[in-house]
Amino acid sequence: MIYLFYLLVYGFLLTAALGLFASWVDRKVTARVQYRIGPPLLQPLIDIVKLMGKETLIPRGASRNTFLLSPVAGLSSVILASALLWVVGLRPGDGFLGDWIVAIYLLTIPSISIIVGGFASGNPLASLGSSREMKLVLAYELPFVLAALVPVIRAGLILRLGDIVVAQQIAGATATSLSGIIALIVAILCVQAKLALVPFDIPEAETEIIHGPLVDYSGSSLALYRLMKNMLLFTLPFFLVILYLGGIRLTGIHILWSVLKYLVLVAIITVIRNTNPRVRIDQALRFFWGPVTILSVIAVVLAVLGL
Amino acid sequence: MSFDFLKDPQLFRYDALSKFVGVFVALFFVLVVIYSIGYMRGRKGLLRYYLCTLATFVASLGAVFANNMLVFLCFWGFLGLLLYLLIAFGRNERTPATAKKAFIIIGGSDALMLLGIVILWQLNGPGEPMSILSLRMDALSQPLNGSLAVLGYLCLAAGALAKAGAMPFHTWVPDTAEDAPIPVTAYLPASLDKLLGIYFLGRLSLEVFRMTTGMNTVLMALGSFTIIAAVMMALIQHDMRRLLGYHAVSQVGYMILGIGTGNPIGIAGGLFHMLNNAIYKSCLFLSAGAVSKRAGTNDLAKLGGFARVMPVTFSTFLISSLAISGVPPFNGFASKWLVYQGVIETGQSGGDLWVVWLVAAMFGSALTLASFMKLTHSIFLGQPSTDVPAEQMLKRRETGFSMWLPTVVLAFLSVVFGVFALQVPLRLFVFPSIGGDVVAPGIWSSGLASLLLVIGIVVGFLIYLAGSLRKSRLVEPFVGGEDLSKMPEMRVSGVDFYETVQGTGVLKGIYRAALKKLFDIYDVLAGFLGWIGQGLAALHNGILPRYLSWCLVGMVVLFFVLIR
Repeated sequence: MIYLFYLLVYGFLLTAALGLFASWVDRKVTARVQYRIGPPLLQPLIDIVKLMGKETLIPRGASRNTFLLSPVAGLSSVILASALLWVVGLRPGDGFLGDWIVAIYLLTIPSISIIVGGFASGNPLASLGSSREMKLVLAYELPFVLAALVPVIRAGLILRLGDIVVAQQIAGATATSLSGIIALIVAILCVQAKLALVPFDIPEAETEIIHGPLVDYSGSSLALYRLMKNMLLFTLPFFLVILYLGGIRLTGIHILWSVLKYLVLVAIITVIRNTNPRVRIDQALRFFWGPVTILSVIAVVLAVLGL
Repeated sequence: MSFDFLKDPQLFRYDALSKFVGVFVALFFVLVVIYSIGYMRGRKGLLRYYLCTLATFVASLGAVFANNMLVFLCFWGFLGLLLYLLIAFGRNERTPATAKKAFIIIGGSDALMLLGIVILWQLNGPGEPMSILSLRMDALSQPLNGSLAVLGYLCLAAGALAKAGAMPFHTWVPDTAEDAPIPVTAYLPASLDKLLGIYFLGRLSLEVFRMTTGMNTVLMALGSFTIIAAVMMALIQHDMRRLLGYHAVSQVGYMILGIGTGNPIGIAGGLFHMLNNAIYKSCLFLSAGAVSKRAGTNDLAKLGGFARVMPVTFSTFLISSLAISGVPPFNGFASKWLVYQGVIETGQSGGDLWVVWLVAAMFGSALTLASFMKLTHSIFLGQPSTDVPAEQMLKRRETGFSMWLPTVVLAFLSVVFGVFALQVPLRLFVFPSIGGDVVAPGIWSSGLASLLLVIGIVVGFLIYLAGSLRKSRLVEPFVGGEDLSKMPEMRVSGVDFYETVQGTGVLKGIYRAALKKLFDIYDVLAGFLGWIGQGLAALHNGILPRYLSWCLVGMVVLFFVLIR
């Protein structure tokens, strides 16, 4: 029962609320950068509720069930991943062996769901976008795994997120070391790509392939995808906080620190997104497999050396 | 006639590991026969086909339960011959060449195994206490001390690796996948040969030899290399069967990696992955076979849109694709989880190379996902190909009962073995085979996670229900306001999805060399032998003076040696 509680209250409701809030921060900052006023606080929620009221269009030639089920599968995996991270964040002793692997794999499912959903819509633009998304996953997965290994090495080769958090509470956050800070930089770049934000919004490229995989989604199904993406905007930075910034603690002054860590990450992501142009997919591939991977290898080597 | 010889512990034995493999050999035999009834209908030589299938089944059981090394080798050799005969039922132009290639690679590795057995016998004292006829696997425990023992291990392991299709003996697998009938591919390279090859590798590494850290590192390096190299080749294939064939190679890497870790959890992962791979890989081949039977082609460019006409096959294919890509909660994830955990544990006992193996394994899993997304799109989703005439399109419908039943059973097993990984396959089969539970405290509880995923899915459905799903409406796909049906050239087939990868940096040169078959041990050896043969042929040019001069040279050398 306790799991169900964590799943629904923390994994879903709290994550959704925080995700929508993060999305509002993102939009507000973007608007300020562009000398606009920006949306009111509840706008992201209003958008989703409004979408749920619109009619759901299904393109002719689509594989109907796959098309409609994909967003559900994606949302479900984000809920589970968030619940897992909340358990680790609030009660580090309650994680299980290997939850590091599980978290990384669960956080890939949203991308899979977008890819399959795009393929299922039978639209050539969606196919193009989905294939780019897949290549983007290939591109960032290699450096991301390497960067995520750095905290594991520093915690003494334990694949348990709870132990990683505890190790950081004893010996200081991962990002206070040289290897940790390099790994954090790599991980932020990878998260940027995982969220498909500029400069890595190649799969969606509104001006080019009209939102790619999502081009034919509308109404409730689009609402599900929007909710999923907003939740990811919370879950992924949260994952980085756990891996590199010592996790969260909801007691006394630590509350302020926890919120601050998270907001700083969101701010960095937003700033990157507002100050860069979109790159091409082959450039992204070269970027991630070239310099970023080399950087992450350096971080791993430094971590093994104990720096 | 008496069957007492079956109970002779000198010849056969029935322990947990061999029973485990034996049970699944039988399962795959039954499923493939059911499938063949539908698939092979109307072909010639069916009696011979079923006899070969049955003989393969019996020989596999013999190999699995054999205790004596020579008895084992006899059954093993039969399997190579039966593979050759079964591949020959294919109807492609290149089928005979492929059958020959497979036979030569497997047969050559059998010869190496015989050499390995002789070395093993030498090491254990010729004559007493063991003659070569009574080399019992369970009585051996050869330490890898000295180069002869290492050579013996490598010779025997070469046989296991060639059968399982690991690099560098892999090249017969993709060719067989392309040219043999689908049930044969699903039966041998995809399931039975994996079970047998990894079974034998496990026997060698756990029982017959006492492994050293160095040899374990060699195994792990080989495994990681196999994972990455084979899946990179799979990414760029255009033929769906060949693509699947490369995955049959790539997945072996995880099993070798698991066994190479040398710790119980990694070995359990390797053996569990062997089972899981046999399940989802044969399911993938059988589902692809159903499609190619209806479509009449294996060319990815000519397929597409099959999900709507073959929903059952699509579901089984999608489940197996997700399983092979290691998506939780399917079975592929459960066994990869154990392998990763095993790899990490090798790091805890010293050495830093585990990072390389772990990253190779995890990245390989992303590459696997990529190539299966390409397959799913090109075969089942996306738009149907426009090259196909309309009457051909009308023939596209779900396959018959005997062809979808095996795939449904296998897909079902993929789910059950993933969700109840700990309770069913690990407790019943895998842990007993390596002697007791190896569960670390707080293992990944797949069942709970699956339950929670289902609850998440319910949440998604509730959002649908609260929303406007009932108001759904069919519309034309939106492509910037154009009419898609009038623009067939806009279709994206998915074949070229990863050309970007192919053209990136160093990979470009490697791919080019690989496509020229520079890494194919068979072609390289054939080229080498051809080169020697040319040299010898040049000597035999039929000109008498030249022959006489060779005689003279020979005599001079002879005299020199004799007189010296």
